[in-house]
Amino acid sequence: MNIQQEDFVNVVQRARVLGCRVPTGLALLPRNFDSATSKDQLLHESEAPTVRILWRRARLEETPIEPEGERFPQISEKSFEEWVGPTIFASAALLSQNPAVVSVALGVISNYLTDWFKGTAMDRRKVRLDVVVETGKSQYSKLHYEGPVEGLQDLAAIAREVGASEPKGD
Amino acid sequence: MNPRVTEFLDHFRKTVAECERFCYAARATEFQTQSILTLDALESEIAELKAKMVETKDEDAANCLLSLSLAARALSYELKMWVALKDDSAASAWDSLVEAQTCASRAIRAHAISDHLERYVERLEVLERVLFPPITFMSLSMVIRESRCSICDSRYGECDHVKGEVYMGEMVGRVITKADPLGTSIVPDPANKHARLVAISDGDAMRDLLTWRLIPPSQDEGSTTGL
Repeated sequence: MNIQQEDFVNVVQRARVLGCRVPTGLALLPRNFDSATSKDQLLHESEAPTVRILWRRARLEETPIEPEGERFPQISEKSFEEWVGPTIFASAALLSQNPAVVSVALGVISNYLTDWFKGTAMDRRKVRLDVVVETGKSQYSKLHYEGPVEGLQDLAAIAREVGASEPKGD
Repeated sequence: MNPRVTEFLDHFRKTVAECERFCYAARATEFQTQSILTLDALESEIAELKAKMVETKDEDAANCLLSLSLAARALSYELKMWVALKDDSAASAWDSLVEAQTCASRAIRAHAISDHLERYVERLEVLERVLFPPITFMSLSMVIRESRCSICDSRYGECDHVKGEVYMGEMVGRVITKADPLGTSIVPDPANKHARLVAISDGDAMRDLLTWRLIPPSQDEGSTTGL
């Protein structure tokens, strides 16, 4: 299991610059959200629609960044059997109101993947996804996860800690 | 469990056990061919019973029968692999092995009745490594513009059907209806093992990467990959 933390762009500002809706709660960010120069370039991971179904069925409310009536295409790279998830965003407001939200959001994905990987060789049951949390005062952290399904709950715990931490530079 | 399915299970297990006996290279081809026909007939029986379970909206029974059907098909493909290998048809044998692996994995996902097939999947992995040379796989990357649910034909993501899950004896698939290809690349561990490099140039001729035979010029036109 491997979790790496790094600073992330200001999600609110980027959303505005790209002409997207500003996510106020839980959201999916396109793979190239931090580097795209226009909204037309934005690409979700191919599993983004699957995660949206899972969250909807679990009654988890998402605040999509796509403008009303628009959809972003998804990129599919069938290189490996690992499951590449979309980038999950949780705002500071949501984290303070419901600190367990990332745990629930990842738990739903984890339950699905436990079944998805049945019949797959153990060494191929790998997951890769990013979680971006707002740490307050317009600062954002990205957690990159690669590892087994079981490790997603550790990722959720770290996301919760990072979300609750004091912002840097104050 | 539905009593009709429970009753059928006995017949299923006996038939599968009879056919499994021929899943070895040493077994005579005529028995393997006969077993493939037996399993085809078993699949037809399963389909008939599944239709009845769907009619009565017995979802667990329908899903169980889907799983049994996939398990029977996996075994049938394994037998086809042995027949093809003995017939010196390496490419056909490879395709059959990949289908056997796919069917066995799906059988496990479809219903807990096939949980024991995890060991069968491992056996197929071993056969892959022992019977075939290392293979160079290809992978297609693309931008998906539109995809639909195989169950209800809604835009994928707008209904509640999730790919890989099973509803009333049918496994959900995501049907990609509009996409832009980005390119192909060589990968060690692909999602689709059918996509492989089938031949390389060797001097003036092409060489089959499974058999290592030179391919006669009339057969190699335009066939540099199996994509």
